[in-house]
Amino acid sequence: MPQQGNIFNVQRFTIHDGPGMRTELFLKGCPLRCEWCSNPEGLKTYIQPGVYKSKCISHKNCGACEEVCPEPDVLKFVKGKISSIDRDKCVNCLACYDACPSEAIKQWGKMMTVDECMKIIRKDRGYYERSGGGVTVSGGEPLLQSDFVTELFKVCKEEGISTCFESTLYVKWEEIEKVLPFTDLVISDLKHMDTNIHKKYTGVQNERILENMKMLVKKGYELILRIPVIPGVNDDMKNIGDTADFILQELDGRVRTLQLLSFMRLGEEKYQSLDMPYKMAGIKVNRKLFQKHVEQLAKYFNERGIHCLVGTKEKE
Amino acid sequence: MNENHTKACGTEEFDKVYCLGYQVHHEDWSPFLRVNHLRQTFLDREYYVDVERLRLVTESYKEHPVCPRKLQCAYAFEKVLLNTTLYIYDEDLIVGEIAAPAKASPIYPEFSVNWIIDEILHHPFEEREHDQFYIRNDEERKEIVELCKWWQGRTIADQVESRLEEDQKKGSQLGKRIYQTNLYHYAGAGHLAIDYAKLMEVGYNGLIAEAKERMEGLSKRDPEYADKKEFYQALIIMHEAAKKYIERYAVLAESMATEEKDKKRKEELEAIAENCHAIAGEPPKTFWQAMQLFNIATALIQVESNGHSISYGRMDQWLYPYYEKDIKSGKISKEFALELIEVEYVKMNNPTKLKDYGSMALRNGRGFGGESLTLGGVDKDGNDVTNDLTMLMLEASAHTRMMNPWVCVRMHENTPYELKVKTIECVRAGYGHPKIFNDGPAIQGMMRKGMTLEEARDYCVVGCVEISLPGKEYGWHDAAYVNTPKMMEMVLNGGRCLNCGPTCPRWEHCGGKGEHLGPDTGSLDTYQTFEEVLESVDKQFEYWTDQMCSSLCIIDNTHRALKPLPYVSAFFGACMETGKDLTEGGAKYNGIGPQASGIATCADSLATIKQLVFDEKKCTGEELLQAVKDNWVGHEKLYALVNSSKVHHYGNDDDYADELFEYMFECYCRHITGRTNPRGGYFSPGVYSVNANVAMGLNTNATVDGRKAGEAISENMGPVHTDCCSHDICGPTALTNSLTKVDHSLASNGTLMNMRFPQDAVAGEEGRDNLIHFLDEYLAKGAMHVQFNIMSVETMKAAQKKPEDYKDMLVRVAGYSAYFVELGKPLQKDLIGRTELHF
Repeated sequence: MPQQGNIFNVQRFTIHDGPGMRTELFLKGCPLRCEWCSNPEGLKTYIQPGVYKSKCISHKNCGACEEVCPEPDVLKFVKGKISSIDRDKCVNCLACYDACPSEAIKQWGKMMTVDECMKIIRKDRGYYERSGGGVTVSGGEPLLQSDFVTELFKVCKEEGISTCFESTLYVKWEEIEKVLPFTDLVISDLKHMDTNIHKKYTGVQNERILENMKMLVKKGYELILRIPVIPGVNDDMKNIGDTADFILQELDGRVRTLQLLSFMRLGEEKYQSLDMPYKMAGIKVNRKLFQKHVEQLAKYFNERGIHCLVGTKEKE
Repeated sequence: MNENHTKACGTEEFDKVYCLGYQVHHEDWSPFLRVNHLRQTFLDREYYVDVERLRLVTESYKEHPVCPRKLQCAYAFEKVLLNTTLYIYDEDLIVGEIAAPAKASPIYPEFSVNWIIDEILHHPFEEREHDQFYIRNDEERKEIVELCKWWQGRTIADQVESRLEEDQKKGSQLGKRIYQTNLYHYAGAGHLAIDYAKLMEVGYNGLIAEAKERMEGLSKRDPEYADKKEFYQALIIMHEAAKKYIERYAVLAESMATEEKDKKRKEELEAIAENCHAIAGEPPKTFWQAMQLFNIATALIQVESNGHSISYGRMDQWLYPYYEKDIKSGKISKEFALELIEVEYVKMNNPTKLKDYGSMALRNGRGFGGESLTLGGVDKDGNDVTNDLTMLMLEASAHTRMMNPWVCVRMHENTPYELKVKTIECVRAGYGHPKIFNDGPAIQGMMRKGMTLEEARDYCVVGCVEISLPGKEYGWHDAAYVNTPKMMEMVLNGGRCLNCGPTCPRWEHCGGKGEHLGPDTGSLDTYQTFEEVLESVDKQFEYWTDQMCSSLCIIDNTHRALKPLPYVSAFFGACMETGKDLTEGGAKYNGIGPQASGIATCADSLATIKQLVFDEKKCTGEELLQAVKDNWVGHEKLYALVNSSKVHHYGNDDDYADELFEYMFECYCRHITGRTNPRGGYFSPGVYSVNANVAMGLNTNATVDGRKAGEAISENMGPVHTDCCSHDICGPTALTNSLTKVDHSLASNGTLMNMRFPQDAVAGEEGRDNLIHFLDEYLAKGAMHVQFNIMSVETMKAAQKKPEDYKDMLVRVAGYSAYFVELGKPLQKDLIGRTELHF
């Protein structure tokens, strides 16, 4: 049986996660539950249907989903259009997705072999070569599927395609170690330096993450670190100062770039599609002021000798 | 990757960042105050109709009622040049207009007049929804109508219409608009670039001397003796008239100089006078004089005929010797050279063309259009030719940001890095120029037209995307717009329109008598296999291209009979040598290039039929046919499915659909390529719609790809976007891969691809580099052309809300850029609907 990965999105031609132009694979399943997560469809390890009410052409005109659903009362309709799925009753058989003609029901996650992925990856080879790009796996937490990633990266390296994974690093070192020989670049987050606050907002403590980071640096791996700057959560000077201390003292300052990603309300409609509450709904930000604030933070890091930029870039 | 470099440079660093996307309230892009003033004056001026040319030409034809046609044309041209009002505008440094004030359109009654009379009397130009024109007063309105009436029965359009058969008319703009031959049916053909290098080398005197010598060498044993003699006679009359016209400007500039109080302006006027004296007969000696001669020689082509796309050739090449000499001798500074170029760029916008309502719907915009200026590329040995002027001419483009000139950069494997960066910086500024051409497939396309490699390497761009050989090719590019989805309608419904019925004006001669518009090649409810569908496509294409091409031959022959072009023919070496006018096939290469629109609409339609009817059997052909007959009403489920990603669509790097795009592309090219035309050349297919896809969509019934009646058909080489959604959903690399599965060189009349990125997708140095790398790979994959719009949907919507703030916002339409707020609402909608690509 060839290695398969559960992938919820293949994005060609992205420039945000790693250098140059890249093909990015988003792997399903994550051990963290960050409140600001913008990819809620990547959290669960299994394949799920998602509902987009605005695309429904109405029960009257269609009704195909209900015809095929094996359980009664799973699909909920409001004003004649599909609006949600009773997740407790849903068996995730995806029959409704197959039947829906209008993409009102989406499939989050798909099992793909390494070979299938490579077919897509190879199509944009020329772009990687010209721009110094390659392949990035992200998620979810891609290293929950470390065997798949290892196989995939192995083939990429054989074919001269550069590789990168973006990980929470909240996995056992052994999982990381498996992938490392075929990896050119690692991207990870420093969400909060205080382990209790970290747990409060992400569901897990940060020790394992920080340990893994130190280990990566010790072994000489290229690292891009990111802070998702969330107002009122991790943007205070105490945490920012602690983060700088950690990078300088524990990581020896050996970070290729520190990227500050300003909080944006992203993925709200995806939460809706999954019948999940969006916890950041209450947060209102004055975009201009907040952006200025984040730029100030970047300035602070740079003053402390850490190459830091706002956004996903590495050059101004 | 190998990277080449150049020392060529303009006045700015090659990597100067201009800005990112359109900026509101900017009137000072140029470092030269003069240029900013000239530009603003242009923008603030209204569009007028000017009666003078019509009046003078009519008088001349009345004065010479019995006289060989070529001489009749020559006398009319002479009459105009000796009598037309001259205009020297404040602060201008270069003079010469098209026998009308700036932004006023002359009338060319030789081509057609019925629509002018009809529109003035019944649908005034002033009241058009867009592309309005103003007639100065009622007296002139009356005079125009009177003069035009004299021409009724004497024009090319009248003659053409008397010769077309019913079968040819029924598919054209006179019938159901499967193809539209409007442009040369009602106006001149244009679409050429003259041999500017030769003009600069020998001047008007040299051309006249050559014509005289060749005329003396004619033999009376030559059966075409009289035709040739008259050609040379006409040419000489016209070029002598050109000299006098230039002298008239010299005299005017002198007299204005004597009255001028401002010392600096006085000197400028004296210099203008001196330049005009110098080039009235002799070749130019300085850069400024070369620019002056260029301006007048080009303007006069547009006095002779209103054919559009009179292009400037490889201007950075033929102009370079004059630049180099003046810079070396210290006669001018680089800055002054740039200022002159910018002044001339602004001036290039002055020529304005009144178009008939139908042509206007096909192509919005009040300029002539198509004045392409080609930069970069290779020499005859294949070496890169980038020079200072290449860079300066791009700078001038970023400093003027106007509709003209349509700057085009030729790129190839060894294009220097600096030129790429400069080009991309202009692109990122978001004013819609320049367009980029790929030497590989373009040169191959030229060779498919029979040219040698050396000749092919000298190609320039004419009009939107047509590749042409300066001074050697009269390609009749842009000869017709072909609505391929309308042909497909015949495939679906047994050679009948889907809405065939008594409301159709043709009902009595067609459906009402039980007849079909086209041949009955089967219909969607009778095809047993998908192969049968493809065979039917082939047969319909054959039938309709037969009708169209034979119509074009009639139009071509009529131009030869009624409107020879001796003035411009002089700039074509082979015409001069053989004594044959361009319209008689005097050029070395002669083509006719009709272009197909809506190929993706057809491809997605075929993919839908193949997948749903034959492969997956999710619906029957009958159901699908009924759905489009009902304009999808009552077929919501099928409509949603057809528009969803569950059906294969072109533009997603999906072979299933892309192969059908390739089939359609090749099917069209195959039926055009190889046909001969009356000038001894060949037909040459193009695949682009410019913006005609919008007008064509308005009178096309629903299509199987999920498009409802009236929506735009797919544009150019681009994917489908219906009111429901965009069919390309996999980003720019997938789109590029789809696009390059076809051999672009088969479309030797050009292909066209638009891509739009929002500003933030290409921001910063990384954004710039990504765009360069994207472009490199795009070209390496063999696409012929690309143009970028760096503009977000929000910007366009803002401009719709507050047009007054966005008066000078150029947007890349297709092959050309136009002022967004001046475009028709349906076209604005089409532009907004095109997929926004992100990195």
